[in-house]
Amino acid sequence: MDTPQPTPRDARRPFFGRFRRFMRRLVFFSSALTVNLAACLWMGDLFWRMNFQRAHVLLLAVFFVLNGLLVLGSFHALFGAFDILCGRRRAVRITRLADAQTFPLAKRFAIVMPVYNEDCVRVCARIEAIYLSIQATGQLAAFDFFILSDTRDLNLWVLEETAWTNLCRRLDAFGRIYYRRRKSNANRKAGNIADFVRCWGGAYEGMLVLDADSLMDGADILKMARVMERYPRLGILQTPPRLIHGASVFTRLQQFAMRLYGPLFLRGLNYWQLDGGSYWGHNALIRLQPFSECCELPALPGREPFGGRILSHDFVEAALMVRAGWEVWLAWDIEGTYEEAPPTLIDHLKRDRRWCQGNLQHLWLIFARKLPFAARVQLFMGIMAYLACPIWFLFLLQSTWLAWDRRFSGLSNLTIPGHVGKWFHIDAVTQSLILAVVILGLLFLPKILAVGGAIFVPKVRRSFGGVVPLVSGALLETVVSMLLAPCVMVAHTMIVTSIVLGRSVGWGSQNRETDGTAWPDAIRFHALPTVLGFVWAAVAIRINFAFAAWMSPILLGLMLSIPVSVWTSRARYGRAMAAHKILSTPEELNPPAVIRLASAATAAVDPALSATHPGRQGIVAAVVDPYVNGVHVSLLEPAQMSEPELDLAERCLSEGPHAMNDSDLAELLYLAPAMLHMHRSVWLRPADTIHTIWTQAVESYRRRLEGATP
Amino acid sequence: MGLPHHPLETLNPLNEAELNEWEEAYAAVEAYFQALRLRNRLLVAELVRRVLWRASSRKVNEPDKPARVLAMEETLAEISAWTQDVLAEPLENSRLAARGRLALLLTGMPDQWQSVFLTPPPWPAAFVAAMRSSYLAAGPNFAGLPMVAKPLELNAFGNSAAQWWDTMDRRPIVRMMFVSFLVVLVSAILWFIFRD
Repeated sequence: MDTPQPTPRDARRPFFGRFRRFMRRLVFFSSALTVNLAACLWMGDLFWRMNFQRAHVLLLAVFFVLNGLLVLGSFHALFGAFDILCGRRRAVRITRLADAQTFPLAKRFAIVMPVYNEDCVRVCARIEAIYLSIQATGQLAAFDFFILSDTRDLNLWVLEETAWTNLCRRLDAFGRIYYRRRKSNANRKAGNIADFVRCWGGAYEGMLVLDADSLMDGADILKMARVMERYPRLGILQTPPRLIHGASVFTRLQQFAMRLYGPLFLRGLNYWQLDGGSYWGHNALIRLQPFSECCELPALPGREPFGGRILSHDFVEAALMVRAGWEVWLAWDIEGTYEEAPPTLIDHLKRDRRWCQGNLQHLWLIFARKLPFAARVQLFMGIMAYLACPIWFLFLLQSTWLAWDRRFSGLSNLTIPGHVGKWFHIDAVTQSLILAVVILGLLFLPKILAVGGAIFVPKVRRSFGGVVPLVSGALLETVVSMLLAPCVMVAHTMIVTSIVLGRSVGWGSQNRETDGTAWPDAIRFHALPTVLGFVWAAVAIRINFAFAAWMSPILLGLMLSIPVSVWTSRARYGRAMAAHKILSTPEELNPPAVIRLASAATAAVDPALSATHPGRQGIVAAVVDPYVNGVHVSLLEPAQMSEPELDLAERCLSEGPHAMNDSDLAELLYLAPAMLHMHRSVWLRPADTIHTIWTQAVESYRRRLEGATP
Repeated sequence: MGLPHHPLETLNPLNEAELNEWEEAYAAVEAYFQALRLRNRLLVAELVRRVLWRASSRKVNEPDKPARVLAMEETLAEISAWTQDVLAEPLENSRLAARGRLALLLTGMPDQWQSVFLTPPPWPAAFVAAMRSSYLAAGPNFAGLPMVAKPLELNAFGNSAAQWWDTMDRRPIVRMMFVSFLVVLVSAILWFIFRD
């Protein structure tokens, strides 16, 4: 079959021309700025009526930033709602661009999954599901899969090899699914991807970058590949992943909120960013040629934490692509795209610690030359996502100080008439209440719009389990997120402070499953917010009860941070909620085929090739088990063993792997002759000449003798 | 020790120590075959007996070597020689052993080809073809794209900040003075604002 060539019409960008794009951005940002300025003037006038102090200037400046971020967030939802209601014809549906295309893909695509100390069985289950899902489309020949391992844990390395081999055996996918491990994990995930591009990037038109917890539907992947084939200026196609498999209350809250409110924000984001979108690091299709030309990341001036290697590479890569004239789209209507979330508040904050440093590094890029407006705004919003909390904290501190000062300075509470009072004939109390209502309205507007929309659209309402689960879930999510917010505020403030003081972060793997946070851990982690909450509450009560009542949502959140953190981490409460459809998402109530495939996937587990047997796990299995050793050695480069390396192997045999340091052990595991020598030795040598860990592993195969024991 | 057709009367009587020594050798060889996931007990017993017979023959000339070592050497040597014949590949001996074990696994030997294991030729054509086509590849043929970092072009403000940052990085005294100045400045501003 002849492959259709892109016509001039196909090659045209499906988004608007420059003028309309400019108008959209002008309308969006100018309306947000207008509302923010109006709120600031209103508040300034209120201060004026209360006898203006110099401290009010600082408070007003902080309010301008905070309220600006709030308005920006709310307007994303507002414009998203507008786009959904009125912009159906104008919004670009990525899935429609691939409609009516049934011919085979002309180009080849790689699906890459970087992994770092992950549960390899679950990783392989996701790969298996995606593989089978693409196979069902009949276009498997156009895709190759790569598991790109940066795993440092040597036991996990062996487990990854066996899981991958089993997966390929079961799916008959040798030559289709590849496993590559980097010896050095230089530049972390960005370096891992770059290494893939340097080795194999030339063989593919694009790569679908996944995270270790990503899952995508094959039909949607195919649509994305078709769109990339059809629009040659498209550089990155980002999908909005949905959170799945939330067991703890915390994860269920997150996935419910993202699923219910997310579409509004996505449409709002797409309203102004159009072809200048962003890349979120995974679940995105990237054209390889421009990626290789533009996206090798430069080092930033200075050392970490602000300089050095860029940690949050994704935003920067999108910005560099857009700067080079490539388009970055948000495929907001791709539905079969999923990921998982950290299971507890503490895990969430640990991840934030890493992301925060990466985003703060982007301060440098705000001053980069030739970056387009959309890219600068994306970088700015990423930075402010973490600076907002310290600013909020500062705002609350200032407010408390002003209240304290007013209470104990002996100043009169009588107000003078301001401009607002004259124009609208309202007193200061009414003026402050109106401001509070507007701010609360902005805060809750996205939730109101999303819940209202979901209730009035039968299909959406049913997908969440009906009105009762939907509304009760939204109310619960609102209450708990209000309790969690002050704790997150303090944690982010501490994170930003520690980064400013020069402490950089390491690269930890994510905890994706848990039985919950232990009380001692929660007490240790949340001690500061709790103490702060009690002290602050005492101060607030000392000022007066009205102020304490006004501050109570913040103070309660701080004081209850330990029990809330523990309670939300519990999977058993999450399961109880799931039984009543509370905080349930459409994906949980009616799992799509690819999620069912991933849940049922078992190809990576086979007793014929296993490195998880009690007594011979990981490294021990790689030495003792004939098949695990065979697989491991076959993936190593041919080499010769030197005398010192032989000594090292002998030491490992006599003292056991636990007596060796990681670097020596890694050296042995990378040396094929050493692994073969050790395999031969543990089977040949009498028990008293080698460490008991080897003899016990050999003994573990003696089923018959054990079976004969009475 | 003897072959199956040897009458039991021809066997040399073994003392208690020798019995224990050959028991250990038997267990080791049997465990290795079980590690290869050979499920059939009769087959395993036959293979073990064959290996031990050869080992016992060697024991006459190498009395100082423990029976276990002799037996396992025979086991590994026999598997290696057989793999060499099946694969017909000129591989270095130890590497061949790993290649052979991998081929056995990928061919599905534990489930499908137990009866063929360590037998003389001819072998089923499907088995030979499967063994010879079994290998692992970490990736397809290399087809790389260059990735070269381009320097970050900063605007005038960014360049000045980068220079200043670099200066502070290299000169700790300047850094300390600057930080002290900042602390004093912020304190002064706060004092000015809040003393009102």
